[in-house]
Amino acid sequence: MLSIKNLHASVEGKEILKGINLEIKAGEVHAIMGPNGSGKSTLSQVLAGNDAFEVTSGEVTLNGENLLELETEERAREGVFLAFQYPVEIPGVSNIQFLRTAVNSMRKHKGEPEMSAVEFMKLARETSKQVDLNPDFLKRGVNEGFSGGEKKRNEIMQALLLQPKLAILDETDSGLDIDALKVVADGVNALRAQDRAILMVTHYQRLLDHIVPDYVHVLAGGKIIKSGGKELALELEERGYGWLGIDEDAAK
Amino acid sequence: MNPQATLSGAFLQSAGSTLPDALKTMRQQRATALADMPVPTRKTENWKYSSRHLQLDDSLAGTLVGGSSNTAFHNGDAYRVVIRNGQLDLDASELPDVSGVEVLAFRNLEDADAAQLAERLDNTLDSKAVQFARLNSARFEDGLLIRLAKNAVLDKPLFVFCENGGDKAGSAYPRIYVEAGQHSQLTLVEEYTSVGEAQALVNTVTEFSLADGANITSVRLTIEGQQTQHIGATAARLQANARFESHCVGFGGPLRRHDLRVCLEGKGAECKLNGVAVTQGQQHLDNHTVIEHVAPHCESEESYRNIAADKSHAVFNGRIHIHPDAQKSNANMSNKNLLLSTGAEIDTKPELEIYADDVKCAHGATVGQLDEESLFYLVSRGIDRKEAGTLLSMAFINELIEQIPVEPVRDAAHARLVRFIEQSFEGA
Ligand SMILES: Nc1ncnc2c1ncn2[C@@H]1O[C@H](COP(=O)(O)OP(=O)(O)OP(=O)(O)O)[C@@H](O)[C@H]1O
Ligand SMILES: [Mg+2]
Repeated sequence: MLSIKNLHASVEGKEILKGINLEIKAGEVHAIMGPNGSGKSTLSQVLAGNDAFEVTSGEVTLNGENLLELETEERAREGVFLAFQYPVEIPGVSNIQFLRTAVNSMRKHKGEPEMSAVEFMKLARETSKQVDLNPDFLKRGVNEGFSGGEKKRNEIMQALLLQPKLAILDETDSGLDIDALKVVADGVNALRAQDRAILMVTHYQRLLDHIVPDYVHVLAGGKIIKSGGKELALELEERGYGWLGIDEDAAK
Repeated sequence: MNPQATLSGAFLQSAGSTLPDALKTMRQQRATALADMPVPTRKTENWKYSSRHLQLDDSLAGTLVGGSSNTAFHNGDAYRVVIRNGQLDLDASELPDVSGVEVLAFRNLEDADAAQLAERLDNTLDSKAVQFARLNSARFEDGLLIRLAKNAVLDKPLFVFCENGGDKAGSAYPRIYVEAGQHSQLTLVEEYTSVGEAQALVNTVTEFSLADGANITSVRLTIEGQQTQHIGATAARLQANARFESHCVGFGGPLRRHDLRVCLEGKGAECKLNGVAVTQGQQHLDNHTVIEHVAPHCESEESYRNIAADKSHAVFNGRIHIHPDAQKSNANMSNKNLLLSTGAEIDTKPELEIYADDVKCAHGATVGQLDEESLFYLVSRGIDRKEAGTLLSMAFINELIEQIPVEPVRDAAHARLVRFIEQSFEGA
């Protein structure tokens, strides 16, 4: 499904990703762990098409299609979804209006009829219950005044509504209390499907107790320095990153 | 244009009309006094950004006639008055039948009423500072007079549809005067639209005189064609505890100029002025507002926002003048601007003049661009750039649009703004 080969990317002239190689097949869940500043969010943003980051070399394909040639909105329509580590607040655009516009953009792309306001409201209310968000949130500005945990649940809600092929979850577990973690994990598990790939960035084993990954990778200094099965996460939990030959906060 | 140029004599010929004598006489006096009116140039302070967009060709001097109307006037639950090229069309109007409320055409006034009106016209504005209000006073051919007796309340909004244009170039001079008695209440919606294809100059004056405790809400929409220059003025003069609320929504054109002047003359008077303006292409729009705090304990709250796209130019000049006796004044002015392209230009100038010492006064002006991070968030959900840009631009002005108190007008303004802004992103 997703194939990343020797990907290099930089921001403001500074190289952050220094040759990433990663293959994810349909139906698989991959976890990426690694010290702060190692480039996990950068990788996520590059995949989603944030042009604040410059791809200097390498290639990324989704089901054989060259992602790097597509605009952000085209990637989204091809099924790329990024749950942001820090979702932005957009006062003045209501959450419901934003969600409906997004869903209808996808439907239009697939040649399906757009959903009416009433029809969508029903769907949105159901989905918001699934992530345990009060439907009142739909009326508020996008992420406006949402707590950290509410923002994360709103990201998962979007993933559920948009049904992506590739869901990239950037620390969707951080800042969550135990109940919210369970809710988010249930949401992610609901997304698990034969035809869908999930890439999860996380710092904690506790998420992986709920969402058991097929593979775990360690990203450090802009490269994947180790890959393994779910046991690797347990080992990291126990031993930190030191034994891999890097500092806890080695980044640059 | 030669800096000493005065207004061409062609503009001083008022057409024969059916106005009562007192108003004709007044108009003639104004025309005579106007003979030396200098045409604004770059050096005229209050026209420095707009003078080069001003086209006062003699072909515009004649009164606009004709121009067939295709407008299906949206009605909502409201009274309505239609003014075509400055002339009231009473057949197309639906006037209220409410005790204490009179809605009259200048041309139908009794002599005594006409004489009284002739005394009062222009008394809400400083005509030296609003050059083109003088032109209107020399040229109006009819007008709308609204008189509210003490405690009279108009139960529904009054929509005034001002349609201007024709098949041959010319000008129109719509005029409105509102006399609001003590504790009376009115919501007036003015909507300016264009008909016909010919070049047009629309020069308006709307005056509000508010007695003690009167409460007026004014909504003003200018959605005219690209063949139309619009130079309008609105003025309000408030006695004690009166309240004036204004919502202006302006769409760009070759020249759109609006002067809004509010004089808080009685203790405890209060005004709220909201404005939204959008420009694109080569359009030019200029809002000038002045709030005079003359009496103590008055409040003013002003918020104007502009969105300029392409190579367009928007101007905001807001002046607050606190007179020496206006202790305990509370004045707040904000102007925020959004530039949608690097070729667009915004000029904003808040001016405070404070001569009293015990006052609260705040003002702020910002100019910014769309937030890249927000834009990325929206497009990362599959929303195309045009739609994302429109959502964010509307978010910038929604807060003000939502405050328009008349629902069908608010919805219509909202829908038009969305369409306009979408165009600003097309091909961008
Ligand atoms: N816009 C930017 N401008 C400059 N430097 C940036 C920018 N974005 C990221 N960086 C730098 O790139 C490096 C990688 O950042 P990134 O956010 O990808 O780390 P991360 O692995 O997600 O860390 P964390 O675990 O703290 O979320 C950091 O050194 C960061 O400061
Ligand atoms: Mg990160």
